[in-house]
Amino acid sequence: MKRVRRAAIVSRVKGLAAEIRWLLGVSLCAILLSAANSAAADVSQGAQIAATCASCHHPTDGGQAIPPIATLDEQAIVKAMLAFRASESPSHVMHAVALSLSDDELAATARYLADRANAGRQP
Amino acid sequence: MTDWTRRQIGGLAGGAMLAVAAPHFVRGQGRAKVVVIGGGIGGATVARYLGDMKSIDVTLVEPNSTHVTCFFSNLYLAGLRSLASLTFGLETLAEGHDITIIRDSAVAIDPAGKAVELRGGTKLSYDRLVVAPGIALKFGEIEGYDEDAAKIMPHAWVAGPQSELLRQQIKSMDDGGVFVIAAPPNPFRCPPAPYERASLVAYYFKQFKPKSKILILDAKDKFSGQELFQDAWSRHYPGMIEWLPSQFIGAIKAVDVAARSVVTEGETFRAAVANIIPAQKAGLIAEKAGLTDASGWCPVDPVTFESTLQPGVHVIGDSIVGGDMPKSAFSANSQAKACAFAVAASLTGSPQFPPHLFNACYTFLAPDDAFTNALTFAPEGGRLKTVKMFISKVGESPETRRRTALHAVGWYSAFTADVFGGGS
Repeated sequence: MKRVRRAAIVSRVKGLAAEIRWLLGVSLCAILLSAANSAAADVSQGAQIAATCASCHHPTDGGQAIPPIATLDEQAIVKAMLAFRASESPSHVMHAVALSLSDDELAATARYLADRANAGRQP
Repeated sequence: MTDWTRRQIGGLAGGAMLAVAAPHFVRGQGRAKVVVIGGGIGGATVARYLGDMKSIDVTLVEPNSTHVTCFFSNLYLAGLRSLASLTFGLETLAEGHDITIIRDSAVAIDPAGKAVELRGGTKLSYDRLVVAPGIALKFGEIEGYDEDAAKIMPHAWVAGPQSELLRQQIKSMDDGGVFVIAAPPNPFRCPPAPYERASLVAYYFKQFKPKSKILILDAKDKFSGQELFQDAWSRHYPGMIEWLPSQFIGAIKAVDVAARSVVTEGETFRAAVANIIPAQKAGLIAEKAGLTDASGWCPVDPVTFESTLQPGVHVIGDSIVGGDMPKSAFSANSQAKACAFAVAASLTGSPQFPPHLFNACYTFLAPDDAFTNALTFAPEGGRLKTVKMFISKVGESPETRRRTALHAVGWYSAFTADVFGGGS
């Protein structure tokens, strides 16, 4: 089961990275990594990068101007991050964060956060 | 509401790494042991993230049961927050994040024997040690300014009783008095903070003691966010704050506690209340353990935060030679996470990725006027270098500044929950 799940994650993460490249008009060719390495690296890397989000985004409380990200799906995260990458307004902080992530890193992070959100919704 | 907590993030991160990385400690005879010295922002963060991995025994050594945050303590000085709202118990770390907390101080480190000796006599062995001692104040560099003098002329650069003392003095000062801030030379904890302090105390004076003045005697000729501060001072507090750089007054040489005066090379300034912020260096245990270089700070590998002087010992936070990274709580938190993953990698064989290091500071000019900066850093040539930097600009709309002040309050709540594992 784990291998199946991991393969599914690889597929989704790679698909998302590809989508980001498409959105940016960048070539798709650069992201063909081996499935096994990609699964291990991307899942773990997503978790490590997501840890940095927690410096500003409260895990549960969204009432104080900085929105919660714990319930967002991956498309919403990617779209928001691409918008933040493109413009310094409305947030210096998110502009800096978005610029620091490669497409693959952003895909891995969005996937990781979305998986956490899904796990949280299960009874 | 959601079940997504940071405990789960850490747990999954650890699990994912362990699942793919031949974790020799888990498969072997015992769990790896990490000792963390210091329960401030860096130490609490690294302990929490390592503890959440569930694969490493984490012991945090800290003499105090609570931590009072330096960030936002200028709001307390201005009467805009209570000290209780800035105080966090370390018990949430112990209870929720699999960390053993020992209420004691480290007095010696033996890197060769991989052991730490505590004041109470306990000896702790470790596989990896993380030292997060914060700053020590260089008492004695200003003649007459020692720990006793700080009871009359507080530094308030470590939040807690010193903040209470300074708040009390500001409150009891007569209208028309002069509040002197002696600002330190670089590098020091939280570069914009002396000037944020001047701004917020001016806000308090404007309401309750409008004839009072604030005089900043600076050991430097420029400071962080200078244009933003000076713009705000002219808008909010015209004529109230005077900044005197080193080139005008010379170095701060001495204080006279009895006269409450500050003596520079060229002049003597009498104060009603004097806030003396001395030069700083790494916390004392770092110096004692041979972790500091000639600068007084701890050189580290910018990827793993392992000391370049003592193998197996990592150093994070204000006490390191930070390169371009400022000495701030945000930097310490960011370094602590990179360090936690690097330590886990070294102990479990888990994959290691280039660290993502950030600093974002919210600085108050008035309760509804705040600015931000945001910086990213990357290791380059053995040091931490700025990659990108964005900062608020002079002339932003009042609405933008109000929103930034709101963000600051939200950030404080999230950040302290991240560090201490609870809500604020």
